[in-house]
Amino acid sequence: MIDVDQLRKRFGPVTAVDGLSFTVRPGRVTGFLGPNGAGKTTTMRIVLGLDAATSGTALVGGRRYQAIIRPLRQVGSLLDATAVPGGRTAWFHLLSIAQSNGIGRRRVTEVLRLTGLDTAAGRRLRGFSLGMKQRLGIAAALLGDPPVLMFDEPVNGLDPEGVRWIRELLRSLAAEGRTVFVSSHLMSEMALTADHLIIIGRGRLLADTPTDRFVESSAPTDVLVRSPRAGELAALLAGRGAAVVRQDDGGLVVTGLDAPAIAGLAADHGLAVYELAPRHASLEQAYLDITAGSAEYRAAAAAGEGTPGR
Amino acid sequence: MTAPQARSAAAAVPPAAVRARDVVASEWTKLRSARSNYLTLLVAAIVTIGATVVVAHAFATTHGPPPPGPITPLTASFLGYAEYAVLPVSILSVLAFTSEYSSGLISTTFTAVPRRWAVLAAKAAVTGTAALLAGELLAFASFFLTQAILSGRHRGLSLAQPGVPRAVLAAGLVLAACALAGLGLGAIIRHTAGAIAATVAVIFLLALVCLFLPSPWNARIGRLTLPVAAYQVVALHPQAGLLAPALSLLVLLAWPAAILLAAGVAITRRDA
Repeated sequence: MIDVDQLRKRFGPVTAVDGLSFTVRPGRVTGFLGPNGAGKTTTMRIVLGLDAATSGTALVGGRRYQAIIRPLRQVGSLLDATAVPGGRTAWFHLLSIAQSNGIGRRRVTEVLRLTGLDTAAGRRLRGFSLGMKQRLGIAAALLGDPPVLMFDEPVNGLDPEGVRWIRELLRSLAAEGRTVFVSSHLMSEMALTADHLIIIGRGRLLADTPTDRFVESSAPTDVLVRSPRAGELAALLAGRGAAVVRQDDGGLVVTGLDAPAIAGLAADHGLAVYELAPRHASLEQAYLDITAGSAEYRAAAAAGEGTPGR
Repeated sequence: MTAPQARSAAAAVPPAAVRARDVVASEWTKLRSARSNYLTLLVAAIVTIGATVVVAHAFATTHGPPPPGPITPLTASFLGYAEYAVLPVSILSVLAFTSEYSSGLISTTFTAVPRRWAVLAAKAAVTGTAALLAGELLAFASFFLTQAILSGRHRGLSLAQPGVPRAVLAAGLVLAACALAGLGLGAIIRHTAGAIAATVAVIFLLALVCLFLPSPWNARIGRLTLPVAAYQVVALHPQAGLLAPALSLLVLLAWPAAILLAAGVAITRRDA
């Protein structure tokens, strides 16, 4: 369990984390989402005692991280997979980490096998690909068999197979009853992995919600209709109080009426309809909506586009 | 909350001595698993011995009375050592921290051991011990080699002479003092180039700068620098105007002690 309460972190004039409060519970994967620069990594570093909070608290299992004896047995973490000593072999790198927390050699061999790195144990880390470094970082996080796990952007730069491996690993760790906290700036990835979402922007909490409820609550659905007599249909729909947006290709995007109502209306007036598709806003769109305006850096064009189609 | 949590909560807290031993073991693994460390030490040893032979030969073949000044049959033994052992070993010690900062490994280190002073203490124990062993080994090797060459000219010293064993032991200690100063400066400065520059300043340059101060400040301040203190500790016949050997030993040890103390404050107060 991770408890963050009124956490604030200022770097000079920049407030990276701004009064953030949330709880990460065991037994599920909690996704930590936000645009680049939202404060995800800073929050995780404060939880791990690497950076000091300006104010507020971050507790793991009810204690400050710095107060935990042999913390790797309580919290496994991976912040930056590329932060490894290039001249050391995987085996000695993991051994040095294990020894600091009184973890034996057998466990080093175990986590190497668990992450599929057993054949690379004797290789120097500068020769590791990014995917192998991610696996190595996860091996290090698993050394202490900890009840709490924190990963910062673990799928960044991985190939599809590596992404799937991490996704399944995270889910199985959560299924074992562990607290799994994973940051990402990719909603699409979290949609597949996380049971619960904590979304932040500019250091503030934007949403703390189960993944499935997130879409329903924050994203209205619409219906795409195509008809050879789109103009007439649009007028009819508008007359029933629906909002209609005409797309460039002639399709109508209707909000305010559901698909059966639209179909009924068209049939009553003898209008042919050759496409009638209720559309659920994607998680990605819901996420973009909620974080709009809080992204630290954005391309000017993207900012001007708004939310096309609606 | 299940098995993993229950198991961990039940785990007994190990005594502090065991935890300290674990951190030292971890740092020792880091030191011994970097191939570049062995390579640097090997090259440093070879160059030191080579330079020692050259110096001893030159000293032995000087005709007439021994040259005036600080070079004696004893200190001549350590001329090669003072440069070619002290510099590379000190730089390796700087890297103990700066390499972790530049790779980002320091985050992993401090996450595994959040009591950062324990990391500093363990690195100091490992680096200090390794440097002390290497220092004594090279100091005695340099001494015996030089005296063997000098004895051909009947100017050699023997370990049996009063003060000589203490002087050679002290020469070995100098390496550990310089290495620990480098280690601490690496922790404080975090960037390799800057930390090496600062280390070279402490172990060599400050003393040279003091030479250019107006008298009597050149000696008064100069005797507080690390290399001058080291010279006094090693010399069989301490120079007048400088601190007594016992006080110089204190100065020699105070440098790494003060730097390590500052390093402890710096790493615990700053964000990693």
